Amino acid sequence: MTGSRDDGTDDVVREARATWEKKTLEPACRRFDLERPVDRFYGPDDVPDFDFLRDVGFPGEYPFTSGPYPTQPFAAGSRGTGLIPQAKGLARAGRYSGYGTAENTAAYYAQMIADGQRAGPNVAFDLPTQCGYDSDDTHAVGEVGRAGVAIDSFEDFRTLYEPFQGELEIDKVGSNWTINAPATIIVAMYYLLAQERGVDVTRLRGTPQNDILKEFIARGTYILPPGPSMRMVRDLFTFSVTHLPKLNVVSGGGYHMREAGATRELDLGFSMANGITYLRTGVEAGLDVDVLAPRMTFNAFGGSLDLFREVALQRAARRMWAKIVRDRFGSEKERSWVLRQPNGAHMGYYNATVNRPVNNLTRAVVGGIASAMSGYGPNVEPPFDEALGLGWSREGMQMSEDAARILQYEARLTEVRDPLAGSYYVESLTDETEAAALDVVEKVESYGGSVGAIEAGYMQEAVSRSAVERTMALQTGERLVVGVNAFTTPDEIEVSVQQTSAKVYGDDEMRGAEELQIRKLTDLRRRRDGQEVARTLRSLESVAKDENRNVMESIIDCVRASCTVGEICGALRGVFGEYREDRTLVG
Amino acid sequence: MSTGTHERRSAPQPSSSQGRVLVAKLGLDGHDVGAKFVSRLLRDNGYEVVYLGIRNTAEAVARAVVDEDVDVVGLSMLSGSHLALVTRVFALLEAEDDDIPPVVVGGVIPTEDHEPLKAMGVRAVFTAGTPVADMIEVIADLVAERRRTGLQ
Repeated sequence: MTGSRDDGTDDVVREARATWEKKTLEPACRRFDLERPVDRFYGPDDVPDFDFLRDVGFPGEYPFTSGPYPTQPFAAGSRGTGLIPQAKGLARAGRYSGYGTAENTAAYYAQMIADGQRAGPNVAFDLPTQCGYDSDDTHAVGEVGRAGVAIDSFEDFRTLYEPFQGELEIDKVGSNWTINAPATIIVAMYYLLAQERGVDVTRLRGTPQNDILKEFIARGTYILPPGPSMRMVRDLFTFSVTHLPKLNVVSGGGYHMREAGATRELDLGFSMANGITYLRTGVEAGLDVDVLAPRMTFNAFGGSLDLFREVALQRAARRMWAKIVRDRFGSEKERSWVLRQPNGAHMGYYNATVNRPVNNLTRAVVGGIASAMSGYGPNVEPPFDEALGLGWSREGMQMSEDAARILQYEARLTEVRDPLAGSYYVESLTDETEAAALDVVEKVESYGGSVGAIEAGYMQEAVSRSAVERTMALQTGERLVVGVNAFTTPDEIEVSVQQTSAKVYGDDEMRGAEELQIRKLTDLRRRRDGQEVARTLRSLESVAKDENRNVMESIIDCVRASCTVGEICGALRGVFGEYREDRTLVG
Repeated sequence: MSTGTHERRSAPQPSSSQGRVLVAKLGLDGHDVGAKFVSRLLRDNGYEVVYLGIRNTAEAVARAVVDEDVDVVGLSMLSGSHLALVTRVFALLEAEDDDIPPVVVGGVIPTEDHEPLKAMGVRAVFTAGTPVADMIEVIADLVAERRRTGLQ
């Protein structure tokens, strides 16, 4: 097939299908006592307008359905890599990690490096840092160093990066920071660290998540209201593009929304709508779309065991984004149209079960197969013990890395690009997914974009509603999960998941983090120049009040003066106010 | 909910609902699917739900418990901060009042932490593996108990 068919083939096939249904299918249904078949066979009549070059194209070319790049090397299961594409010349961040104090995490990174990691850090920050609270804030009680590393000041950040020097100097590795509301502060810290080390800042590579829109919709680590939050995004965009040209400016994605309950259509539609809002924000601030778009990334979409639909989602996402950047923003460079993301299809961490937890490995393998078929590494994630709340064990991590290696080297899944291209079924699913997500995009656009849609509560309510529906479906049995609401027995076997080897993170360190951080903060506040702290914070406030100015230089001054993350965010809260979600229950 | 639970509770009720339950996400994690689902489920089962949403401090929860006069308090946490935060909630409630409503906890709570939580006074711990019917029954029993003791 090289173009759409107008030679009457479809009519012939449609007629043949009707005959087949009557002559062959119906008797079979009767024999199995079925009212209608439980499955379906797809043919060319299901994608009558299919045009290979228009709808799929070659990998690395518009519309990128068959892949973002013409070819892509993978090294499944490279140790400590997070299983993302690894190859010569690629600067990558390692596996998402971080806990306790900066000292604890630096020691962990040093161990990973000693074990062979050659990638930069992929930093998990603790929740107080993500929400802009210092470790000694009332809001931080119990959370310090838990979900990630506590970073209160530039001194913590400097400590965090101590293992990355010499061969792994910060101009040689990429960093990833899962940080949204305070993304400006973390980028300011990286900028200052490079200056301090005499590293050329224009060579810095890294990705702040900076996807504040999805925080309002799903993840909840917002600080300022949506409008001022987008001002911070704008300022980070314009500063980065000018001063840190190799830094990505945002890593958007639907996966967090999916976890929080979004359907496949909402996942993709909201991601695209948010992408449009980010691009528009940059373009309205005067940035050239072909400078900004290549600096935008996505982290992940999707997340379910529904293999074919998840592959279709990835294909549809690449095609939609290419069309959006090219057609809605008039971008002229093909490079700008590529949907850049490190992850493809996956099982979705929220699908990991506490019941019979070893089954999660089977689920993750299905996700790994889908990942490979969607054009990415055969990442088998998460480790089976994800849902147990104990942290990943080394056994769990080894099993997941080995599974990816098996998919690459034994099942040889990475030797073909887009193996489902041209499948009547998958092409049909890809079209359906794109159409449904496009409706969602237009709905968001009818509010003037994501900010308006969030202010109106539309996006949050849609996710809440589908979250409750998804969970209800488990109760009604409409959705079956093995070992949870199906195939259980009165006498469940006690499956042993004894974590025999050392945990990845130290329990004592995690428990002691709050006290240590508070001690460090007290000491810092005593040592630093209080007047300089007050002056830089005041200056930040006055710049923040002027919509036409960029806060980044002021934030860099604050960081240099040893203002804490909580103090900087506090100054911004003072100017813009704090966001509180509407607590109305939907459904 | 089992009908047996209904029949057992014969004492006059302060409100027409099955009970008044406060549901809150305690701490900073935004994973609210569980809390929202439980709220919805309780509401569908005839309970009155006071939903506090995400990112509540122990202080905010303690204040709401006192102000809202609820029969049961449900706290949801998925970030691993449960021991520290629940300790703080109990400390604040005990300072405030000697008549604390029963508190239940849900979320990602490792088995090894269930006993320490119960030692603090938590009446039940619900995880992703808890059958919904069991949870509803526990809540019904706690409401019944609360209303019995409240009438004495």
